[in-house]
Amino acid sequence: MVTLDVDYFRDLETPRLARLAPNLVAAAFPLMKLMPARFILDRAASNGELKRGSHIVETTSGTFGMAVALLAAARDYRLTLVTASTLIDAKYKARLERIGATVIALDDPRGDGNQPGRLERLKEILATEPDGFWTRQYDSPGNWLAYARLAELFIRAMGKVDCLVGCVGTGGSLCGTASFLRTVFPHLTVFAVDTHRSVLFGQPVGKRMLRGLGNSVLPQNVRHELVDEIHWVGAYPAYRTAHRLLREHGLFMGPTSGAAALVAQWVATTLPDAQVAVIMPDEGHRHAETVYNDEWLSALPGWPCKEPSEPRTLTTIAPAAETQWTRFLWLRRSLGDVLETQAAGEVPPAVGAAENL
Amino acid sequence: MAGTGDLMSREALRSQVGTAAAIAHHGELIQGVFKDDGGRLHRGLVTLPITGLRSEASFARSDGDAVVVHPNHKIKASAAAQLTLEFLNVTGGGVLRLQSSIPVGHGYGSSTADVVASIRAVAAALNVQLRPSSIGRLAVAAERASDAIAFDEHAVLFAQREGTVIENFAGSLPPLLLLGFKANAGAPVDTLQLPPARYDSAEIQEFGVLRALVARAVRLQDPYLLGRAASASALISQRHLPKQGFGEIAEIARRAGACGVQVAHSGSLFGLIFDLFASNLKRRAALVAQQIRRAGFKDVEVHLVNAEGRTW
Repeated sequence: MVTLDVDYFRDLETPRLARLAPNLVAAAFPLMKLMPARFILDRAASNGELKRGSHIVETTSGTFGMAVALLAAARDYRLTLVTASTLIDAKYKARLERIGATVIALDDPRGDGNQPGRLERLKEILATEPDGFWTRQYDSPGNWLAYARLAELFIRAMGKVDCLVGCVGTGGSLCGTASFLRTVFPHLTVFAVDTHRSVLFGQPVGKRMLRGLGNSVLPQNVRHELVDEIHWVGAYPAYRTAHRLLREHGLFMGPTSGAAALVAQWVATTLPDAQVAVIMPDEGHRHAETVYNDEWLSALPGWPCKEPSEPRTLTTIAPAAETQWTRFLWLRRSLGDVLETQAAGEVPPAVGAAENL
Repeated sequence: MAGTGDLMSREALRSQVGTAAAIAHHGELIQGVFKDDGGRLHRGLVTLPITGLRSEASFARSDGDAVVVHPNHKIKASAAAQLTLEFLNVTGGGVLRLQSSIPVGHGYGSSTADVVASIRAVAAALNVQLRPSSIGRLAVAAERASDAIAFDEHAVLFAQREGTVIENFAGSLPPLLLLGFKANAGAPVDTLQLPPARYDSAEIQEFGVLRALVARAVRLQDPYLLGRAASASALISQRHLPKQGFGEIAEIARRAGACGVQVAHSGSLFGLIFDLFASNLKRRAALVAQQIRRAGFKDVEVHLVNAEGRTW
């Protein structure tokens, strides 16, 4: 039965579900962030926070910005995105501006994204705008609540889900989907995918080559207690897996989707009796001239590298090279708990979900 | 000659007696609020039908305007008969008689069963077969909030205050064994006195997940998924109409390997859901029934759902 929604954005945010292995289903999103963006705007419109012609603000240059820009344009809201000059390229800025967004790119002398400066600027705008609305993707519960829809889609397609794999940036997609799936499948094992030198799971901050996952600050929507295992995937294996997804499955996805797929395929192979779901957040178009460009790739030091077939299990959380893939057994602990045992030099148990079966 | 014709049709009228029945239910598998295709929220439920208990109605048309009902306190059934006559564009009234084996006030849907049986009996008296969707709408019009028993064992997500189907799961529930019993020392609940539950955002989002579970469970006839949905809905119901001993029952269900725990969301019923084809079920069910009685619960009964003639 074909039913047309009153609003096309609900269809646009819906992922294609791709079976990558007998026990592995991927949700391949064209633009995943439409799901939380639409949910947050719909909720704000229905409770009166967002009025006709309101001015929306957010500090992002990523895909959440694009999602809000598309919605704001279609629904006649003004939009200002505050970003840093180091984080946005001219083409993406032009794409956002073409659909009516105002993009403010602040100087970034330290090269760390200048989040404090961006927040300050955003608050200045809000102070002068009585109808201002901040989508707050880092901290708004709307971000994770929106992903009940993804849990629904997985259940309708797979039935029981035993393992969930997904990247963490704001925490919305993985923690939201995990929390709804675990309500009905308490045994669900959650594999979070991050990258070296992201602070989300206790690594010291540093320059990250792989963009679109990880973070240099800790959003409230990251709920560590939901996570069984954390995997840190470097840029190179993520790129290699993205290439392989295109070659083997016809899926043209971004490198973060590559990182998620790498971990998910390992989980599905290691646990052949488990039904595994993986979230792949965006398509490859934005990366056509980099990740999918041989000239750009060949200029990378050490490229080509071998794709690792399995992660190296850490007992002490530490950053690794961009060619590396590491893993740590998080065991549903809080960040504080893990950091405390790390500081005390306690070695965590070497038995994870994979070793248990 | 005109006079003779009138006499004949009046004679024909009097002789038409319609009889019909409607089954009871054991509360709901899930109940909450659900989004339609346009994103609007509706209160809705999936009924858990049990065929062992039923209400039977007969309707004999009469010349008078009024519908007379026996027993005379069943005014909702009488209103339903009246509405059905109007729906079918028929003037006159009739005598409606009801006989029901369904206990009142626990969430077995005694009232809706009377109403649905009455609507069907009136239609039968007029030689009309009504669609379940029309019966559902008439039932809601007669009693304000109704369950989905007009659809019998066909699984639908029913908007109980609007009389419309939010999602048709296009099949029947998988074969189940239900171990039913009463909470709160068997005290009945007056459903009309209950204020509608106010759900928070997380609960509303979770209902979509439960709906997906039921859809999958019906499509693939999977009692486990149905049980997962029922347990989660029962847990949410616990925050709005708490039942004593819920934690204890959930633990018994878990240890017994039941598919899930189900409740009447506006009644006192508890149900443990088992796969009817599970191994060693007879012995396990007897053992669990004993544990439930020992925990102090009343009226432990076995119900079969979609058992296709199997007996217990």
